[in-house]
Amino acid sequence: MGQILSGYYIYMLSILVVYIALATILHAQFGLTGIANFGLSAIWGFGMYACALLIVKLNIPFVPAVILATILTGVISMGISRIILDLDSQSVLVGTLAFLAIIETLVISEKWLTNGVMGLGPVNYPFDIGTYTKFVYFLIILIFTIVLLFYARKLESSPPGRLFLSIQDNEPLSQSLGKSTFRRKLVFFAFTSALAGFFGAMAAPIYKYLFPKYMGPAITFTLWIALILGARKRIFGGLVGVVATIGLFDVVLETVVPIPSKYAGILYNTKYFLYGLTLILVLMFRPSGILGEKARSINTANTGKIQKMEG
Amino acid sequence: MREKKLHLKNVMKSFGGRKVVDIPELTLGTHGIEGLIGPNGAGKTTLINLITHKLKMDCGQILYYTNGDGIDISKKPIDEIARLGMVRTNQIIQDFQSLTIRDSLLLSLATPMYENFYNIFSERKLRKTVEQEIERYLDYFRFENPDGHALSAGEKKLLDIIRCLVLKPKVLLMDEPTCGLPQDQIELFIALMRKKTAEEGMTMLIVEHDLDLIWGVSENVYFMAEGEILIQGPPDEVRKNETVVTKYMGEGSA
Repeated sequence: MGQILSGYYIYMLSILVVYIALATILHAQFGLTGIANFGLSAIWGFGMYACALLIVKLNIPFVPAVILATILTGVISMGISRIILDLDSQSVLVGTLAFLAIIETLVISEKWLTNGVMGLGPVNYPFDIGTYTKFVYFLIILIFTIVLLFYARKLESSPPGRLFLSIQDNEPLSQSLGKSTFRRKLVFFAFTSALAGFFGAMAAPIYKYLFPKYMGPAITFTLWIALILGARKRIFGGLVGVVATIGLFDVVLETVVPIPSKYAGILYNTKYFLYGLTLILVLMFRPSGILGEKARSINTANTGKIQKMEG
Repeated sequence: MREKKLHLKNVMKSFGGRKVVDIPELTLGTHGIEGLIGPNGAGKTTLINLITHKLKMDCGQILYYTNGDGIDISKKPIDEIARLGMVRTNQIIQDFQSLTIRDSLLLSLATPMYENFYNIFSERKLRKTVEQEIERYLDYFRFENPDGHALSAGEKKLLDIIRCLVLKPKVLLMDEPTCGLPQDQIELFIALMRKKTAEEGMTMLIVEHDLDLIWGVSENVYFMAEGEILIQGPPDEVRKNETVVTKYMGEGSA
């Protein structure tokens, strides 16, 4: 038991939960507000590297490092969004992708700071309680992810959520009703990006040593595929999608199914091929994702209440 | 006569060298309901777009009067103009596809305070505050299913108008509001327009092709052709005006 709780499984599960959090953030940004953020993994990676640098280079304790990294990510994202969020959605996509390329390149090239592809570390767990350290840390991340899912759920049926949906559907119309849509998008993008930075910072000790590939475009694409697969407009779309992609391939296939070592390399490449194939099939037969269209059940429930009150 | 709501000076707009709107001076909003008529391509919609800053003017100035003060709105963004109390409905059907009819009205009625990203627990309070207002409109114009989406073109058009009305604007610009509405709804709509302007002091400017409606409800009519306001005055005078008859209504249709 102890071995399971401290070993590879718990490592994979922790990563899986972090990815679920990221996919949920993508749901809030893209599924709700319509911001096509193709730089999510870089924003996440920024938080991760910021936290690690604060710890490794400046000897700042873990908790303040996480908080600082979160704030820094938020500030940087505010800067990006000021430049690109005013553009149409294709340009936002290209702009965020460019940001990803810049950050990844900087992390690789600025070896004096990040140690490049050699890896930055070690980032240790903030506490050490023996065998259960990794498991307890996993639980902490799980709790934060559940809080995030709860936020996403409440958001959807609240005034700000409605505003974000209106921005996605028809921004000029929303504006003509007196909504300052640009400022709202800006603040929300910065906030959700700060959250991504937070989860990045929290992920640093799980990896212990950080490499540029952890934030590369492959991660962003995987998250996008996961969200579209799950259902971009549904709160649990990210969760379902991540479980169906990373959960199925990285966790179950690589760890549970005994695959001869000579095929291991093929599996890694086949993975992306299969992601793509699954995505095409889902888009062909269930275009709004595995979970399908969003049902705004809250409203019907509410009308029921009103009618009852009248009766 | 009321105090003027809008004053336009040297307002000009061209598309690709063709002058679409050219107004040296114009005062709007001195009556409760005003009509803006003119042949297709006269520049009516463009004028509304310029006033609400959906389009940028080539040059000119627009002053908006609220509580006696004139505010230069020529450079203000569309949302700020709306918050100052001037909103518009759309000629082409506009809707939020993921919002139900009720959601749409809740969106419209939510003040900025409610819409901060952290205000995720404010839904109940908002509903409690605005429920009655929404119910009043939903009872008045019977929608098929207020908790579903606006289905027909008529419902969407109506929703577009109600979204604006619940904002209690001081000035409401309407671009062909009755186009696509069934007759019984048009009558309800006209009655409501009269009530809003008479009792609540709202000022309306309507662009319409339905001339019976214009002659019937407006207290003042502007006739626009080729980007210019050619005639203005009480409906009875405008409809008899020779220019209006020849340029717009054609023979025998007056």
